[in-house]
Amino acid sequence: MVTSQKLQRQSNPWWRRFYAMTVKEVLQLFRDYVLLFFIAYAFTADVYWAGSGVTLELVHSALAIHDSDHSASSRQLISEFHSPYFKNIGEISDLREASPLLDSGKATIVIDIPPKFEESIRRSKQTGVQMQVDATNSVLGLLASTYSTQIVTTYGLRESLSANGISPSRTGTLPAIVDDHRIWFNPNQTDSWFMSISELLNVITVLAILLPAAAMVREKEKGTVEQLLVSPLSPIEIMLPKVIAMTAVILFGTALCMFLILGPVFHTPFRGSLILFFVITTLYIYTTAGIGLFAASLSKNLAQVGMLTILMLAPMLFLSGAWTPPEALPTWMRNAMYFSPMHYYIDLSFGILLKGAGWRLLWPSIWPMVSLGAAVFGFGAWRFRRQFA
Amino acid sequence: MGEAGSLISRAQNFSCEGDGAVVRVSDFRKLYGKKLAVSGVTLDIQKGMIHGLIGPDGAGKSTLMKAIAGVLSYDAGEVEVFGVPVVSEQSAERVKPHIGFMPQGLGLNLYPDLSVEENIDFFARLRLVPAHDLAARKQRLLAITRLEKFRDRAMKNLSGGMKQKLGLVCTLIHQPALIILDEPTTGVDPVSRRDFWTILADLLKEGNVTALISTAYMDEASRFNQISMLYQGQVMASGKPESILALIPGSTVRLRAIPQIQAVARLGAEFSQVDPFGDELRVFVEDGSGEAAIQRVRELLTGIEVSEITASEPDLDNVFLELLLRREQSQGRSAPLPSGAPPELETERSIAIEARGLVRDFGKFRAVDNASFRVPQGEIFGLLGANGAGKTTVIKMLTGILQPTDGEGWVAGANLHSVGRGIKEHIGYMSQAFSLYRDLSVRENIRLYAGIYGLSRREMKARAEWIIAMADLSGRETELAGRLPMGLVQRLALGCALVHRPRILFLDEPTSGVDPLGRQRFWDILFQLSREERVAILITTHYMSEAERCDHLALMSAGKVIADGSPAELKAAVEKAAGKTLEIRTDRPVATLEQLLEKGFEDAALFGNKVHLLSSKPEADEQSVRTILSGAGIETHSIRTQPLSMEDVFIYRVTQVEKQQLARQEEATQ
Repeated sequence: MVTSQKLQRQSNPWWRRFYAMTVKEVLQLFRDYVLLFFIAYAFTADVYWAGSGVTLELVHSALAIHDSDHSASSRQLISEFHSPYFKNIGEISDLREASPLLDSGKATIVIDIPPKFEESIRRSKQTGVQMQVDATNSVLGLLASTYSTQIVTTYGLRESLSANGISPSRTGTLPAIVDDHRIWFNPNQTDSWFMSISELLNVITVLAILLPAAAMVREKEKGTVEQLLVSPLSPIEIMLPKVIAMTAVILFGTALCMFLILGPVFHTPFRGSLILFFVITTLYIYTTAGIGLFAASLSKNLAQVGMLTILMLAPMLFLSGAWTPPEALPTWMRNAMYFSPMHYYIDLSFGILLKGAGWRLLWPSIWPMVSLGAAVFGFGAWRFRRQFA
Repeated sequence: MGEAGSLISRAQNFSCEGDGAVVRVSDFRKLYGKKLAVSGVTLDIQKGMIHGLIGPDGAGKSTLMKAIAGVLSYDAGEVEVFGVPVVSEQSAERVKPHIGFMPQGLGLNLYPDLSVEENIDFFARLRLVPAHDLAARKQRLLAITRLEKFRDRAMKNLSGGMKQKLGLVCTLIHQPALIILDEPTTGVDPVSRRDFWTILADLLKEGNVTALISTAYMDEASRFNQISMLYQGQVMASGKPESILALIPGSTVRLRAIPQIQAVARLGAEFSQVDPFGDELRVFVEDGSGEAAIQRVRELLTGIEVSEITASEPDLDNVFLELLLRREQSQGRSAPLPSGAPPELETERSIAIEARGLVRDFGKFRAVDNASFRVPQGEIFGLLGANGAGKTTVIKMLTGILQPTDGEGWVAGANLHSVGRGIKEHIGYMSQAFSLYRDLSVRENIRLYAGIYGLSRREMKARAEWIIAMADLSGRETELAGRLPMGLVQRLALGCALVHRPRILFLDEPTSGVDPLGRQRFWDILFQLSREERVAILITTHYMSEAERCDHLALMSAGKVIADGSPAELKAAVEKAAGKTLEIRTDRPVATLEQLLEKGFEDAALFGNKVHLLSSKPEADEQSVRTILSGAGIETHSIRTQPLSMEDVFIYRVTQVEKQQLARQEEATQ
C-alpha cells in the first residue's frame, strides 16, 4: 500500500504564480521581433492606409468618349465630367473600340454622343446619350452611373430651361422643393474618420483573437504546456496571464494609433469619454480572446490557428455592422449579429468616439457584450482543460 | 546521354573491380549561416563495407550524409562518389541514380496514405525501374523484410519498425550501389532493429553494395565494419571498431560496493569514468590489464565492502567518452553536486509511485494495457521501450496530464482519481521537449518556474544558485535558453523541474539528443539525487545501454509491461532460459555465418566483423563451431562468451510474449 508521506509546503499565494506567468508572457512578446513589428504595423501604417487610401467616393474614374457630333454642346457636356470624380482618358473614333477598353479595365465609363446632338437640343427635339458602365465593382459602377445621370440630367434641364427662355439664375421663380439637410456627427462626411476608426476596430479584433491564440498554441508546439499542466497552475491561471499581457499590448497599440494617427493625421474628433472607450475596449479584448483561446484548443500548430482565426474572423467582420447595417441584412443574419461581440463593440466605439455618447445611453450594448464575453471565455477555459484529457 | 551512359558503366566497372573507395571525402566543411556544422572531415568508404557514422545530435552526421547523397551544397573540401567529384547540381545528378538515400525520421520519405505496395511502386517509377525487374525485386525485398502480408496496408497504419523496413525497401528498389541511411534505427523497437541489421547484413554480404549509416546508439557501433566517430563537426576517431578500441587501452572493472556513494567518491577522484549502474559500479581503468586494474580499484576501496569484482574489455562507449574527455579537459567531470538543504531522513523505503492495472485508450487504440509497478523512495526506476510502447502515456497519467481509462495509481500517497492539484507541488516533471522557454534567459526560466511553484523571494534565490551550480551555468545566467548547447539545456530543464524540491521526479526521455559527456553528467546528478536526497525517479528511455543504469526496470512493449526487475535479475533470468552470447571472430565473417546457418545454428547473426550466436551450452557449442569452421577451411581467430546486453533481454522477452500469443491464438482457433 502507498504510505502517505510528510510533505511540507505552505500554501502558495496565487499572485506569485500569476505574477511569474504574466512577466513571462510580456518578456516573450518583447523577444518576438516579428510579432512586435506586425503589431506596430497594424496599429500605424495599416490604419493610416485604410483612412487615407480607401474611399467610398468616385475618384478619377476613367472615362472614354465617342463624340459623333463635335459641337459646342457636346464639348460643353463632356467638360461637365471633370476631376476629381472623372478622368477623361481621351476620345475614341469608333464605338467598336469601347468594348475592349471596358474589357481591359482601361475605362470605367464610355459615353457615346450621337450625331446631331446640338441640333436636336436647339430644336427641342428629343435626343439621348448612351453610357456604358463597367459595374464589376458594383459600388463604383453604381456611383459612376448615378453621377453621370445627375450630370446629364442637370445639363439637359439647364439646356431646356434656356431653350424656353429662362435663365438658370432665375430658377427660384419656378415652383420647386428645396432639399435642405443637416448632417450630424461627421458634417463633412469625411470618409477617413469612418474608415480609420473602423480599421482600428478591425485591428483590435484580429489581434485580440490572434495574440492569445498564438501564445497558447506556441506552448503546445514547444511542449511547454505539459510542464504547466503538471505544475499547480489551474487552467485559468495559465490562460489569464496571456490575456492580460496581450490586453496591455493591444491597449497600448490602440492609444498609439489614436494619438499618432487618428488625431493628428485624420483630425478625428474623440467626442466621448476616452476612459469609457478604453474600458469598453478592455472588456471587448477579453471577449474576443476567449474566441482565440477556443481556436487554440482546436489547433496543433501556428498555421492551423492562423487559418481557424481567418475562418472565425470572416463572419465576425461581415456581421459586425461595419460593412452593412443590420437593417439591410436578411432576418437570420440579423439575428446572428446579436451573437457577434464585434457588432456591439462597433456600435459602442462609434457611439463614444463620434457621437459622444455616455455609458447610460450605451448600456443596452454593453451588457450583451460583457455577458457574451463571459460565456465565450468560460467556454474557452473549459475547452482548454478538456483538450488534454 | 553519353555521359550518363559512361557513368553507369563506370559505376558497374567499379562494382566489378573490387577494392577502392566508393566515397572519398576530404577536408569537408559546411556552414549554416555563420555556424560551423562540419569542419575538416576526411573519410574514405571502401566498397562492400558498412560504414558507420556515430555521434550525438548536432555532430554533423546528417550534413555529411546529405552532401554525399548530392542534396546539400558545401563550403569547402572535396566529395567524390564513384570517382565523380560532386561539385555541382549536374555532377550530383550523375551519381544520384546509383545512390539510395533514406533521410532521418520514421518513414518521413514515405506517403502515409499510400499502401505498402503503392509506396514501393511510386519509388520504382520515380527511379525508372523497368516493370519486369520491379516485380521480381519487390517480391524479394518484401520477402526478406517480412512485409508481404501487409502489401495493401496504408503506410500510416504500420508500426514504427515496419515503416522503417518499408523505407529501406523503397530506398533499395532501384538497386543502388551505395545506400545512405540517416539514423534508420532511432526510436525503433529492438526486435525490428535487430531485423533491420539482419536484412542489411544479408543484402550486403554479396559485397556489391556499400552502405553509409549513421546512428546515435553507441551500442550499435560494433555492428559496422568501419566507423567514424563524429563530435561537434569533427571526426574524433575513424577505423575498424577493433582498432578504435585499441586507441585507448584499458579495462572496465565492474564491482559491487557498499556503501556505494563513498566508493563513487573515492574512485571518482582517481578515474574519469565511474558510473553507477544500479547496484553495480563500472570503472574504466586506463593502461591496465584486467588483473592490475582490479588491484588498483581494490587498493582505492580499502575499508569499503567490495564484491563481485570482474574486469573486461572496455566497450566503444568508454573509448569515445575518454576521447571526448581528453579533448575537453577543461570541462572534464565537474565538481560534485552542490548539496542542498540536508535531506529528510527516511528510514523506511516508502512507496513513492504505485501503478496498479493502469489502462489508457485513445479511441480504439489501447496505448497502455494493464501496467503495474511500484517505485520506492530513493530508487531510479526505468521504463524501457520503443517509440509508441506507451511509456510517455504512463508518465502522463501519473502526472495528472491524462486521466486513466481504467486502473488505479498512487503518487506520493494520493490516488490519481480523487486527487486535486495539491499533489502537483510534490512532483517534478521534465518532458521530452525539455519544456524550457527558449526565448527566455537561464535566470528568467528559473524565476518563472520558481514563481509557478510559489517560492518566496529568498527561497528562489537559494534555489537559483543551486540550479546554476548544478547545471554548470555560472557566467551564462543571462543567455537565452535556446542558444545553449543541448547538454546544458537538458540540465537547466532538470533544474527547473527540481526548483521546488520535489520528492518524486518524472523524466520522459531526458537524454535523447544529448552528447555522451552531457549524458554522463546527467546520470551523475540523478544518482546523487536518488542516493543523497532519496528522490524517487521514474525515467523513460529507448537507449538500451542507458537502461542498465537504473535500479529497477520495467520493459514495455505495445502498451504492456512484459518484464520487471533489476537489470541484473532480468539478465540472469534470460541467461538461465536462453544461454549466453558466443562471439565468433574469423577471417571470413560472411562465410562463417553461412556455414553456421547451414549446420543448424539458427540464431547466428552477423555483427559487424563478427558472428553472434545465442547458446545455452556454450562449451559444447564452441567445440562444434570450431569443428564446423575448420572443416570449411575458415580460420577461427577467437570464440568468447559475452554477457547478455539489455537489448538481448528485451528481444528475448518480446519474442516470448509473441510466441505465447500465437500459441493462445492457435488454441482458440482449434
